[in-house]
Parts: sequence; C-alpha cells; structure tokens
Amino acid sequence: MTRTAITRQTRGDPGKIWTLEVSGIAKNYGATCALRNASLRLRPGKVHALLGENGAGKSTLVKIVVGAIQPDRGRIALNGVPTRFAGVRQAIAAGVIPIYQHLSLFPHLSVLENLSAFAIAGAAGLRARPALVPRATARAWLDAVGLDCDLDLPVERLSVGERQLVEIARGLGQRCTLLVLDEPTAALTHDETDRLFGVVRRLCAEGTAVLFISHKFDEIEALADDVTVLRDGVAVIDAEPLASLSRAELVRAMLGDMVESGERALPQPGAPMLIATGLMLGPAAGIATRPADITVRAGEIVGLAGLVGSGALELAAALAGARPVAAGTLAVRGETLPAGDRARAVAAGVGYVPADRHAEGLFGPLAALQNASSSTVALFSRGGLLRPGGEAAALMPWLRRLNLHPFQPERPAAGFSGGNQQKLLLSRNLAVPDLRVLVVLEPTRGVDIAARETIHDALVEAAGRGVAVVIASSDLDEVMALSHRILVVRHGSLDGELPRGTGRAALMDRLAGRRAA
Amino acid sequence: MMALTGARPRRFSGRLNPPAAVWVVLLLFCVFALAVPRFASAGNLENLLRVGSILGIAACGQTIVLILGGIEFSFGASAALASVVTVLALPSAGVAGGFAAGAAAVLLVGLVNGTLVARFSLPPFLVTLGMLMVAGGGAAVLAGGLPIDAPPSDAFSWPARGRVVGIPVPILAAAASFVLLHLLLAHTRAGRLWYLVGANGTAARLSGITVWRSVLAGYLLAGAFCALAAVILTSRVASGQPGLAPNLPFETIAACAVGGIPLAGGQGRAVQTLCGVLVIAMLNNAVVLLNLPVAYQQLMIAAVILGAVMLQQAPRLLLLLPVRPARQSEEDRS
Amino acid sequence: MSVNLLRRSVDGLRAAGSVLPIPFRVAPLCLILAVAVFAAIAPRFLSLGNAANIGAQVWVLALLAIGQMFVLATRGFDISVGAVAALSSVCAAMACNGWGLPGLSAGALAGLLCGLVNGALVGTLGLQPVVATLGSLIAVRGLSLLITGDGQVVPLDAAGAVTRLGFEPMPVLPASSWAALVLAVGAALLVGRSLAGRRILMAGSNPEAVALVGVDTRRVQLWAYGLCGLFAGFAGVLMTVRAGSGLPTEGAGMELQAIAAAVIGGTALSGGIASVAAVVTGAAFIQVLLTGLNLQGVSPFVAQIAVGVVIIASGLLETLLRSLPSFPSQSRTRT
Repeated sequence: MTRTAITRQTRGDPGKIWTLEVSGIAKNYGATCALRNASLRLRPGKVHALLGENGAGKSTLVKIVVGAIQPDRGRIALNGVPTRFAGVRQAIAAGVIPIYQHLSLFPHLSVLENLSAFAIAGAAGLRARPALVPRATARAWLDAVGLDCDLDLPVERLSVGERQLVEIARGLGQRCTLLVLDEPTAALTHDETDRLFGVVRRLCAEGTAVLFISHKFDEIEALADDVTVLRDGVAVIDAEPLASLSRAELVRAMLGDMVESGERALPQPGAPMLIATGLMLGPAAGIATRPADITVRAGEIVGLAGLVGSGALELAAALAGARPVAAGTLAVRGETLPAGDRARAVAAGVGYVPADRHAEGLFGPLAALQNASSSTVALFSRGGLLRPGGEAAALMPWLRRLNLHPFQPERPAAGFSGGNQQKLLLSRNLAVPDLRVLVVLEPTRGVDIAARETIHDALVEAAGRGVAVVIASSDLDEVMALSHRILVVRHGSLDGELPRGTGRAALMDRLAGRRAA
Repeated sequence: MMALTGARPRRFSGRLNPPAAVWVVLLLFCVFALAVPRFASAGNLENLLRVGSILGIAACGQTIVLILGGIEFSFGASAALASVVTVLALPSAGVAGGFAAGAAAVLLVGLVNGTLVARFSLPPFLVTLGMLMVAGGGAAVLAGGLPIDAPPSDAFSWPARGRVVGIPVPILAAAASFVLLHLLLAHTRAGRLWYLVGANGTAARLSGITVWRSVLAGYLLAGAFCALAAVILTSRVASGQPGLAPNLPFETIAACAVGGIPLAGGQGRAVQTLCGVLVIAMLNNAVVLLNLPVAYQQLMIAAVILGAVMLQQAPRLLLLLPVRPARQSEEDRS
Repeated sequence: MSVNLLRRSVDGLRAAGSVLPIPFRVAPLCLILAVAVFAAIAPRFLSLGNAANIGAQVWVLALLAIGQMFVLATRGFDISVGAVAALSSVCAAMACNGWGLPGLSAGALAGLLCGLVNGALVGTLGLQPVVATLGSLIAVRGLSLLITGDGQVVPLDAAGAVTRLGFEPMPVLPASSWAALVLAVGAALLVGRSLAGRRILMAGSNPEAVALVGVDTRRVQLWAYGLCGLFAGFAGVLMTVRAGSGLPTEGAGMELQAIAAAVIGGTALSGGIASVAAVVTGAAFIQVLLTGLNLQGVSPFVAQIAVGVVIIASGLLETLLRSLPSFPSQSRTRT
C-alpha cells in the first residue's frame, strides 16, 4: 500500500484546520472492545465516507461524533478546538447535525413541528411558537429536497419515502458545520437520492463537512471525496482520498484477506412449485396494479427487482402469504393457499424472511435458538408439550451450518450483529420440514460481507434441495448474482423478465422504465 | 444501522439461574426473622403463606398476560363479581354450584378481555380498565351496593380454611398454581407461543403462528387463575362483596415487577413471580406482627416494593453511585 | 355509486379529522348523547340549577383527568392521583387553619412534590410507571393517615368562608369553578403553546426519536409527572373547599375515573396527542352520567358500567376508523 505517501499528501497543507478531528478513540462495553484506536479527520467542504463491516465499530464512532455516547479515551476537536459533547443537544448546538436512517420523526406532530424538532429540543423559554421554523423557511427546506406538502399535515399521513425526505430536509436546514448522513438513501428513489446528493454538494460548496455512512459503493463513489475504513475498532484506511483507492482495495481493507467468491453455479430448475395467478396488490400498497402471473420452479431462484416504492417487496411478500391481496390465487404444488394467511402458508412449506428484520422478524429478548425455532414449534412438541432437547436437535445443525457467530444459542437475539440475526431468520425457515418455497426480502440489507456470502450460499443450497426460491432486493448485484431470471416490477405490476447474465446497465434501464431498443 | 437508544441488553439467565429477586427474598426473610418477634415461627409462616396464596394464584395469571405484552387491570373487579355471583347462586345451586358460577363469571370477563385484545387489537390497558369498571359495576348492581353474607357452612369455608394432609388448601392451591405456571411457560407449546407473541407479535404472525388464538388462550388462562383466587377469597370473607379486592391487579403487577419481570412482554418466569409474591406476603405479614400504625405499615410496604424493584433495575442508584449512560445494544459489536 | 358515496363520506370524516382528530371526537359525542337522552327522559335534567350543579361538581374529576393526560401523553401512567389529591386536601386544610386562605396553596405544593417524586422514580430511575406510582400510592396514603392521626377528617376553622368560595356564585359560577376553569385554560396553553407541552407530545409520539433530536427524556417525564401531581393537588384543594374540611381518605377510586375521563378524552389511545378540552368533556360526560342516573333513581353503579363500556367502545371506534380504506396523502413528491 502507498498509505504513507497518500497521508502525507492529504496532510500537505500545514495551515489547514480539520472541521472534525477525532483521534485515538477507544470505547469499551464491559469486556467487549468496540473501538480501540479509531480516528477520523474531515476536511471542510468535503464529503467523507466511513466504511466498515457491521461490528467494525462504525456505529459506535458515529454515536461518539453526534454526542450520543462518550468515548473512554481519545480526543475530539471541532474546527481545531478540543471538544467533548455531553449529549446530543450540545453536539447539535455546535453544528453537528445527524440525519438518521431510522426515522426520528414524530408521527402525530405536523410537518412544521417536525422540521422544528431540534429547535424545540434546544430552545429556552416558555412558548413553543418562537421555536418553530418560519413557514417560508420551512417551505424552502422542503423545496430543497423536492417535497411539496402541507406544513400542517401530521407526519403519519405521509408515505415512508416522504417521511425520509422530511427528516433529510430537517437536517439540511440546520446551521451546520458537520452533517452526518447515516445511510439516508434506504427509502429513497433514484431521483430523490440524486436530489439529496445535489443538496449535499451545495452545502459542501459552502464549506460544510459531510460524514457519509453507506453500504452502497455506487453512492460512495458518486459523492465522497475522502474515505476512512474501520476494521475491528481501528482505522485501517485513515482519511485518504477516495480517488486513490480501488473498490477492491476498499473491500480488502474492510474484510482483511477475505475475497468475495466469483460467479456461482445455480442448480437446474425442475417442475413448477409455486404458481401465482392474477395476483394484485391491494389499494393499501398505494400503487396502481395489474394482475401478475408468476411461476417458480423447484430449484429455481427468481429475483424480483424494482426501485424503492415499485411494489417489488410487497409482491414478494404476497407470494409468501405475508400480506393480503386485492385479487389472485396462490398454489404450492397444486395446493391452493388463501392469501395473507401465514399459518396456512407455513403448513404448506412456504418460508418467508421479511425486509424489516427488527420490526417483523426478530424476537429480541428471546434466545437465538428460540428465534430460529419459531416456525417449527409444532415439530418438537407432542400433545402440546415441548420435547426436551428436540428444539436443539432440530435447529443446532442449521445454526452451525450458517456459522452463527458467536455460537451462543442461548444468548438473546438482540445481542447479535445484523448478519447473524439474519442467519437466525434464515435458519427459522430452512428448518421447516418439507420446505417448498422460500421468499426472502432484502436477504443481506445491513449485513456484513462475510455473512452475505454465507447467506447467498445457503440460498443457492436451498434451491439445490429443490426449493423454489424468490428473492426481492434493492441490491441489484445480489439479484443478478443469484437469480435464474429476474422479474422487473414497476408500479406494483410485472414489467417484463430478464434472463441470467443480463448486464447491470440493461437492468437499470428496465427498472427505470426505459426499454432497450 | 444506528439505534442510539437501542434496547439495553438484557443479561440472559439460563433456566436454572435464580433470579435476582431470590436475594431480596432471602435478605428480607433474614431481616424479619431477626427483627420481628414470632415471624419465623411455624404457625406464623403458615399464616403468611395462606394469606399470600391468593395474591400468588392471581399473580400467576398476571404473569401470563405480562409475558404476552399485555396488562390485566380487571382482576380485582372480576374477583368481586365472582364473590357476589357465588353468594347469590348459593341458595339455588349449592356450594359447588355457587363457586362454579363465580368462577364462570371470572372466566367470562377473561373471555371478553381476550376477545377484544386478540380479535379487535385493542390496547390491553384500555380493555381491562373498561372491563374493571363493567365487572365492578356489575358486582355492585347485583349486590345492590352492599356486601351480602353467605350462610355459614363447612363446605363453603373449605377452600379457605380446609386442610389436606395437614396443609391448608390455599397453600396447596397456590403451590399447584406455580407448578402449573412453570410447566406451562417452560415446557408447553402454548407457553412458548406466548413468549414469541409477546416479544414481537408481527414476527410471530409471519412465522406462521395464529396470534389471536394464543392471546385469547393466555387471557382465558389468566382468568382461570384469577377464578381460583376468587373462589378462595370468597370462601375466606364468607360474603359477596362488590368492593372485594380493589388493589388485586396492582398487587399482582407489583409482585411480578418485584420479581423482575419487565412489563414490555416476551420475558418472565414462574420463579420470578413466586419471589415477588413472597416478598409482598412477608412484608404484609411483618407489618401486622410489628403492630405498627397503619400509616407506618403503608410507608414501609411502599419503600420495600420500590426498593426491591430499584435493586434490580438500577442497583447503582440504590448504592448512590453515579449512573452510567445507557449502554448501547450489542448489535454493533460481537 | 354507493361506493362513491361511502368514499366521499369517509373523506369528509377525514377532512374533519384535520380539525378535530378522531380520538377527540368521542367525548363530545358521548356528552351530547348523554345530555340528549337524560333531557328526553327527565325535563328537569336540563334545569339551570342542575346544570350549575354538574358544572360545579365536574371540576375535581376534570382536574385529576387533566393531570393524568400529561402523563398518558408521554405513554406513562399514574395511579396515585387519588391518594395525592387526598393528601393535598389534608395539607390545604391544615395550612389554611394555620395561615388563613392563602394556606390553601399548600395543597397544590404537596401535590407538586408528590408528582415530582413520581417523575424522579420513572424518569430518573427508570422504574416502570405502574410500579412506581403504585409505590407512591401506598406511601401517600400512609402519609395522609400519619399527619391526620389515622384518618381523622381535618375540619376547617373558617369553614364558612371557604365553602362560600365553592358554592356561592360569584358571577354565574362559584369562585372555585372559575379558578378551575383558569387552570384548565392554563393546561390547554401548556399543551398547545408551550415548549414543555411540545416536548411531552414528542416524547409520547416517538420515544426512540426524542433523545435523538436532543430532548432530555428524563426531564420531560419529570415535568409530566410533576404537572400530574400539581393538578391532583389542585383537585385536592377543590375537595377541601367544597367539603369545608380536609379529607384524608377521600379519592380512593378517583384515579380510575380520572384515567377513564382522560381515555374517553382521546389521550391514551395513541400517545403523543392530547387535548384539554376533550379531557374536560370526558370528565363532564362521566359527571352527567352519574348525576343523570342519580336523578332517575338508578344506582350509580350502572354509570360505572356505562363508563367501562364507553372506554372499550372508544377503542373499537378508533380501530374501526383506522381500518377504513386509506386514501393517498395530500402531499406530492415533485419530479
């Protein structure tokens, strides 16, 4: 590596002051060491990407930057002045403004009040009105992200994407020295993402430093100037210009010596297993729909691809009987299933991994083993009694096969990393006897690269056993790598099919609605 | 992947680990045995357990509801309803029939609670509060607002005062209840489903669990425990009282909380409830033995309940040590 | 055709919702219905005297319910308000005997202190609200007994002068009702216009997010429980004023009625929303029910059943309205 040379280059200007300089940070939680020697240096007017696997200490470092937690050791300087934030409010007052991926909005309050949340939190005095952002200003903030909505509308009436835009508008509107963007694009369409990036660049031109956390290399390359990579609580790439590093170098820095495997061999599809006829999403999905006919064969992996809001996830969920539909029938090997009835679907051997792991998948306080066995409780119970040892006998092999780490099946699921939680959800379905169909939404969202490989392997292996696999993912590389064929979803309906080996550019065009000539 | 206010990690204790509340029970027992005359005598301990058994049986029901992520406020009112129904039914239905009618009334309240929570997705707090008023009002209307005495009979007082192989019936009933609760929670499919549904209802549904059936069964069983408690209580007071046990729901919740069961759902063991019930029973017994004025009794009970809960939730605060900021979830490490 | 009609009427309901959110509509509806029914059965129900009677009686319950509203809005719970009101009543009476009329304010102070203790237990120490306030319920009852020598009523030396405040119409209403009205307006301003109110609503609306934007959750809870105690204290003073004595054992069971009024007033169903007007209307509904049935010679326990049914029905109504087909929001993303 040419790290020393690069470092010298970035540090070249002696008179320059870093907007944020964090060095020698250590943070322990009990016996666990989250950060050992982390550093982060942000130049004014530049976008700085922070990369790292889950568990590398990224989240801990971000929490320290925004004042949510205090480090055990280390130095933080804002614009050259040593600082120690006692809490989020002090950080906000100092101009460190966070924009979260998890929505931190207040559903019952109006858009205007939500835009004013930081001010309401920080203001002194008795009356609320002076803390509210002037309506014209609020309007301008929303304009900047391209949202046009009634300022007095409660936020709960907005769509998820619109809410994310309100959250972004709130952050962008603050007087800020340092903007922290924590995976802000998850719920955004491409247009909205582009608009966000436009605003971020404008802020940069005014001298704001931006800390950008994302799993998506495309976005990082489009936006970031510098990059820091954390591994095991240490900055292994320390504030180097992004242009000097290749993607492969970044991945190697994140993973150590592990390398992503190449093209995967997919099994040969057999007889039709899952047949959906005339499937139409209900008006609850908020999108116009045409009936969809989908057939998935045994041993086949079908990818549903679509932009956020296209209905791809909803359609896939409907295939698993996880949501009600307006019309259509589902049949698994000739057996007709009622839509939206998961109990019947599981009985028929239809597995389902939801997109939102925490809200819809995980039983946080319960042991990992109990999380993995929730679909198969009936299997190891007889006459209503649990057979001692039956649960472990049925599930342990799967947990071992998926390489649960740390291998502590009695530990509560909330204590595992995102990738390992995902493994629990997967083993829950793989353990279903006579599994015929497996529908997986966002198989590896927020999952580190090593776990991602394991999960992909497991999906291909399931197909090899003769399971009909459906994946719906916003990660196009994943869909392309795993699917026999890709069904394009737009506006809640099927919009064509692409064979394996379709190029990324062609897929993108189809998703955006442009047909190749 | 940021959750700044992520749930605090709950330290997992294996099935055999004693809950922290065991230490509270032992400590309190030692203190009372030393400081309160006659506390440790066999007669007193039997009395203590007999009085505490009603709370214990009802707390078993509350435990199930709490594990389901719900809360049950209607226990006291349904026990009152049961006592009134029992006494009113006595002349025509006899002793057994009377108790059966009373128990049926409690089960009916449980059925309504369960149906409204499970099938109509109403907040448990709202439903059970509403049913508290309906059942309590119903008891008062049936009784005309005043207690009605039951004709004294041996059969009628057997559930409260009888003995089987020398052991008082209420203590046997409570012991059986706790054993049953433990078996239900740790060794049956229904119990496992309660934990899953209480920890995350949506995830349970998507796992293929019929959530409403599990919830309904939970509230019904909670009602069954409460019915047993109501039968013993009615037998003990030998009358139908519309204002019988107004604090029963609160005391059962307090017992569970003292035992360390969080009200958030998905967690809780029978032994925790047992510990909580023992703490409250010893306390009630000790203040009576000490013959303190009622005022001091109440202050002491409040102090011990709050202290015991604090000891488990925030031990550092109790020792006047500085509090560390909320620990993050372990999700980002490992 | 009929689908269109349904759709339009639901749309109309929703439009009205932006003026008065669905949960706040339950209490006025119940009140109007109850008044109409009683007026139809018994004409004298609508007499001026009876109306004034209800108007004067409603305030103890209304003040307790307003206090409860602050706590429910943060997704908390306070079952100690009845006991706190009783303690405040005693304190007010004793202080009044010592220092004259201004001494009544000691009741409010006692209430505030109790509330702050609850707030510290829940906010600072992180205890579960039901357990924390159950502890203080028992302790406060003990305190009341302690300072009154086992529950003796504390007679006021100047009972005549004080009760005049509670019964003699100043203009139209007695002084105590005017005072309570002012307090209610103050509470409404606090919820609707003040920073503290906004923070309380934020804490209830999204407990996870509120710390992320820099609000100190512990302080918000301290405030909410403190306000709850303060209003319970006011209710206690009002009890003393109307009874002419301090009532150490009064108020048991009042906590449930107060929660019922707050719930019927739309507070508990979702967290993060609160309306003083709706809560006072909810309290008025309960009072009308009690008084109306009393006039009919029906037992007040029937009223209790009715309140229970209304609580559950209000929840059912909310669920029903939410399950109606949702329509696209009025916002657009510009492309």
